[in-house]
Amino acid sequence: MASLLTRLKQRLDSLAAGSKKALVAYLVAGDPDLSTTLELMHGFVASGVDIIELGVPFTDPIAEGPIIQAAHDRALKTDTSLNQIFDLVEEFRKNDSDTPVILMGYINTFLANKKALESIHERGTDAVLIVDVPGESTLENIGINNSHIASISLISPTTDLKRIAKICQTSSGFIYYVTLRGVTGASNLDISEIEKNIAHIRENTTLPVMAGFGIKTPADANKLSKVADGVVIGSVLVDMIHQQSTQKDYKKIYTYLNEISAVITQ
Amino acid sequence: MDNLIDLPDAEGFFGDYGGKFVPETLMFALQQLEDTYDRLKQDPDFLKTFDHDLSQFVGRPSPLYFAQRLTEHYAGPQIWLKREDLNHTGAHKINNTVGQILLAKAMGKKRIIAETGAGQHGVATATVAARLGLECHIYMGAADVQRQSLNVYRIKLLGATVHAVDSGTATLKDALNEALRDWVTNIDNTYYIIGSVTGPHPYPMIVRDFNSVVGRELREQSVKLFNKFPEAIIACVGGGSNAMGIFYPFIQEPEVKLYGIEAAGSGLETGRHAAPLNDGQPGILHGAKSYLMQDKDGQVIDTHSISAGLDYPGVGPEHSNLKDSGRAQYLAVNDEETLRAFHMVTRMEGIMPALETAHAFAALDYLVETFNPTDNIVINVSGRGDKDINTVATMDGISLD
Ligand SMILES: Cc1ncc(COP(=O)(O)O)c(C=O)c1O
Repeated sequence: MASLLTRLKQRLDSLAAGSKKALVAYLVAGDPDLSTTLELMHGFVASGVDIIELGVPFTDPIAEGPIIQAAHDRALKTDTSLNQIFDLVEEFRKNDSDTPVILMGYINTFLANKKALESIHERGTDAVLIVDVPGESTLENIGINNSHIASISLISPTTDLKRIAKICQTSSGFIYYVTLRGVTGASNLDISEIEKNIAHIRENTTLPVMAGFGIKTPADANKLSKVADGVVIGSVLVDMIHQQSTQKDYKKIYTYLNEISAVITQ
Repeated sequence: MDNLIDLPDAEGFFGDYGGKFVPETLMFALQQLEDTYDRLKQDPDFLKTFDHDLSQFVGRPSPLYFAQRLTEHYAGPQIWLKREDLNHTGAHKINNTVGQILLAKAMGKKRIIAETGAGQHGVATATVAARLGLECHIYMGAADVQRQSLNVYRIKLLGATVHAVDSGTATLKDALNEALRDWVTNIDNTYYIIGSVTGPHPYPMIVRDFNSVVGRELREQSVKLFNKFPEAIIACVGGGSNAMGIFYPFIQEPEVKLYGIEAAGSGLETGRHAAPLNDGQPGILHGAKSYLMQDKDGQVIDTHSISAGLDYPGVGPEHSNLKDSGRAQYLAVNDEETLRAFHMVTRMEGIMPALETAHAFAALDYLVETFNPTDNIVINVSGRGDKDINTVATMDGISLD
């Protein structure tokens, strides 16, 4: 099997080669249930999603706004565990060996599953993004031993230049630029500030920079795709998934993703 | 003995515990706070203002009071009470808020936020914000808004806005989550006054330092009143700020035994409690590594305690280090024992302790027999119990309406 760090890199390289922007889509594993999450992951890819970010539910997700918090709570009500999420990714890989999967969550659940994390690259996971670990720490620093997965770090509007340089040094995969001061799903995008900060990041790294938190409309996505290498869509999708939790008719979501995918490559 | 005094280290760790585990947006604000505190804690003007506010606004020093009838009742050691319940606003929490509001002022922050469990920290924060005319928002679990309604009204009278938090377990931990989210969103103009020795570095250090006035006074008072340091100090532990404040100045006095008392809720064996140091494992919550009540998948477990101020699944990181090093010991007493102690102290001493504080009194049943009549032990009376009369009445089956 090819080194799996390559799957993420391959995807990013091929997007760059085609001058395309990445569409990164976030959903919470286990909301409303794991088999639906699997269906949605494939549906996302068919609708133009390039990279999947799977939210790992946690009881105390301090960086999340109300929409994603509620999704974490729902996923925990059905006892979604990190181990089940590793299984889910393995299942996803049976029909998709190309789309990178990133696990996004909070350090306490990762530390409780340290041993299992050592082999998750063999089970299809490509990267982790641990929201409450400062970007200059490596996975090794926090006691997670797996050099085959990428560690994605966040940089925010309040990160100073010194920290930007440090974080760029320890990151792999891509840099996730948090587009606002706030929790996920908020709405106060300041494009000129974003542009300036992404420029600072680019002075320190050749890694691609994805922009996320607070992107809702195709117009937002279009604007951000002009300054970043890709956009991350989260709360909007999580909300739409919840609206359909009984009907499970996801056509609207797929239409929305297709629309975003079209406008970010313009 | 381990070096326990020169902590935290530069990274904010007390041994294995502590640190800064927060979303990136907060890192800048934490650094700014640390820089400000490092500068001001050696600034004579700042220290003078803090001392002035403690004496003139809070009413310090608080007395070290001899509990005559309790001592006779137990017929063991001499029992002394450090009267933090006599402070302005009725608890130790004001020591910390008086200090932190000066940091907020120095940093030019115009908007103050805080979380609160029992409401004492909410009151103490709203009080110092009112004094400086600053906008103030208090986050409080919806369950606690119910059981501490008196304090909720006090906070509102002081001009602050109370936000009832419905998410999760609707108690203190969820209030903290929500306060952190507010801070991430309003980081540029907002100062977050954390109410205990919890949270990311530098908070556990700052809150400890501001509360240490209690232990410093006790050093002088004990020598004056009984010619030596006490043989033991007993304090309740929620997040651990009243305990840390009275323990810290004695950390290097090995002859002074330190006892922290956690909330055993319905009983340690039932799992329905709030005693992470007695029955938890190290984990990371609210920015710091410390003992934590969690399941095998790292999810935080629901807690239970009769007292809102102790109803928290985590504990300040310095306590975790004191536990592992053996310097302090941590016991837990349950709701029933606490309620009994509440009534006993009220009737016997004419002092109505907060339910949090009543945990420390309840531990006397276990601890007195290990001391001689010539020994002196001190209970930190962290707060007064007026706020708890609704809860006590309900527990006793009495309707106040
Ligand atoms: C009177 C009183 N004592 C103790 C506590 C527990 O906090 P800590 O452990 O930080 O002292 C509280 C918290 O609300 C309180 O109001």
